[in-house]
Amino acid sequence: MIKLAFYGKGGIGKSTTVSNLAAAMAQQGLRVMQVGCDPKADSTIALRRGQALPTVLELVRQGSFALEDMVREGFAGVVCVEAGGPTPGVGCAGRGIITALEKLQEKGAYEVYRPDVVLYDVLGDVVCGGFSMPMRKGYADEVFILTSGENMALHAAANIAMALDHFKDRGYARLRGLILNRRDVPREEEKVAELAEDLHSTIIGSLHRSETVQEAEELGKTVLEAFPDSAMAEEYRALARQVLGQAGGEQVC
Amino acid sequence: MRQTASIISTYTADVSGVCSALFELGGMTVMHDASGCNSTYNTHDEPRWYDTDSLVFLSGLSELEAVMGDDEKFIGDVAEAARELHPAFIALAGTPIPMVIGTDFAALAALIQQRTGIPTFGFATNGMHSYLSGASQAFATLAERLVQEPRERRKELSVNLLGVTPLDFSVGPMVGSLRRRLEAEGIAVASCWAMGDSLENICRAGEATVNLVVSWCGLAAARVLRRRFGTPYVVGAPVGEAFTHVLAEEIRAAARDGQDRLPLTKRPPAGPGDLTLIAESVTGGSLAAAMALEQGKRVRLVCPLETEDGFLLPGDVRARDEVELEPLFKEAGGIIADPLYRPLCPPEVPFYELPHEAFSGRIYRRDIQDFIDHIPFFEEKRKRS
Repeated sequence: MIKLAFYGKGGIGKSTTVSNLAAAMAQQGLRVMQVGCDPKADSTIALRRGQALPTVLELVRQGSFALEDMVREGFAGVVCVEAGGPTPGVGCAGRGIITALEKLQEKGAYEVYRPDVVLYDVLGDVVCGGFSMPMRKGYADEVFILTSGENMALHAAANIAMALDHFKDRGYARLRGLILNRRDVPREEEKVAELAEDLHSTIIGSLHRSETVQEAEELGKTVLEAFPDSAMAEEYRALARQVLGQAGGEQVC
Repeated sequence: MRQTASIISTYTADVSGVCSALFELGGMTVMHDASGCNSTYNTHDEPRWYDTDSLVFLSGLSELEAVMGDDEKFIGDVAEAARELHPAFIALAGTPIPMVIGTDFAALAALIQQRTGIPTFGFATNGMHSYLSGASQAFATLAERLVQEPRERRKELSVNLLGVTPLDFSVGPMVGSLRRRLEAEGIAVASCWAMGDSLENICRAGEATVNLVVSWCGLAAARVLRRRFGTPYVVGAPVGEAFTHVLAEEIRAAARDGQDRLPLTKRPPAGPGDLTLIAESVTGGSLAAAMALEQGKRVRLVCPLETEDGFLLPGDVRARDEVELEPLFKEAGGIIADPLYRPLCPPEVPFYELPHEAFSGRIYRRDIQDFIDHIPFFEEKRKRS
């Protein structure tokens, strides 16, 4: 089982990218699970084809529940889970992620669904201990950071890398590379390459800015589902191959 | 109200369970907390505190360290103390604050072990579970990490007693009675986890023929030892002569065929109107079985603690909150429980005191009965038709 976490600045396109990667990997014949680690609980929305999905924390709050209550099978058979979180403005979202991921493990999600690949889509920056949970031993083995060439995105990426470096003696996930999600800002590739070099890492793949992504989002679908023959769909397929290649995916193909 | 104890006590928490299980083994146990867990432990949960040396500490977690997620001070302090005191192992036990900020005890333990070279265990206890949960994790970790591969099995029939803490057996004669009862049946006690025995002896537990789980907190260790060495386990405490004989037969059978056994369920089922025993499931189930054998009593077990479904009979009940316990008390033919349960007992129902260290601490310690040696007699009121 390959377990990968995706981090990056809020709004950089993590959920869109991860959902399209999940769809592309599933279409390659892999069993994929996508776990949204964000209180907004909208990571898997483009995969779920309109199905409602109670969050893990909503179910925990209600009391007893079964594993299947916290899971929906989406486009291409991707197994969708949303951690959820407290009402905005109260509680502790980070602690919520910890509880949700522990509950997922406790309910035997990985043993029952036996995914080949688990993708954790993690909220914005690593703002507290809870958001480093997907990096911990037993969860993701590798981390990919999405960034554009915008300064704030680069700054967030550097912070996430710093957290990973801080945890290097703890057996946590390793930084496997950066993914450039272009916003077409000046010197974009150059700036992200500089950051990669500073982090002793590499850019493992990149995506062009494309209207197709927004059009698919309007339809509530992934690009892979809505526009499978588009150039953008092919970019996601290529990125999926690159991600799996970096993460040792050849073993499961 | 659910999850509320307004007129009864609560059981010792998981963090104290870790400390209690490891207290006599020469390790160093550190509760990661601001303060409070230490005084609860040494005042209420640890009867050996004032007369037995042990390295049990509190980290003194500050507000700022918690807010800033500064683990480095904790790691440094533990490593420094270990360098000075040379413990045989280090155990880190979590409390509510580290739980809320998501402290990763497994990772911290690995780091401390790297720095000190001393086996270090991290327990994500949080004060939300009972002592049994903490002691269970501690014993299972000993079984996993410290018990050595046996060169050979002991020739004589022998057992490890798994799940012995003062929280269930106090510090009086009961632990001696556990040994004596088994030895009278010709069964040697290879090790006792973990009172009155050495870490060295416990590390050789793989040599024993059978594991005897005498309270629920020994079960996880028994399962680890079964997986590692194929040792079968039997669940039950040697309460009274007749039930100990039944237990001994099951131990012999387990030694012969390698199958696990559950003799504590060999008793007649009971229900409303019968005597009702509020207790830990293995000691309570064993006492109920012994009372059935020697006194012809039907005893309904009410378990307010962690247990397994298979440890209870139909008619027994898992109930923890006052709201669940109150109706059970009303319908009972008599209640046998720690004195601090008395406020729940209606005046017309006889109440018999069976003090339990994990529930009332030192308050009734002098009155704790050695029910391993002598089964007390309790008279139920006439059953309802």
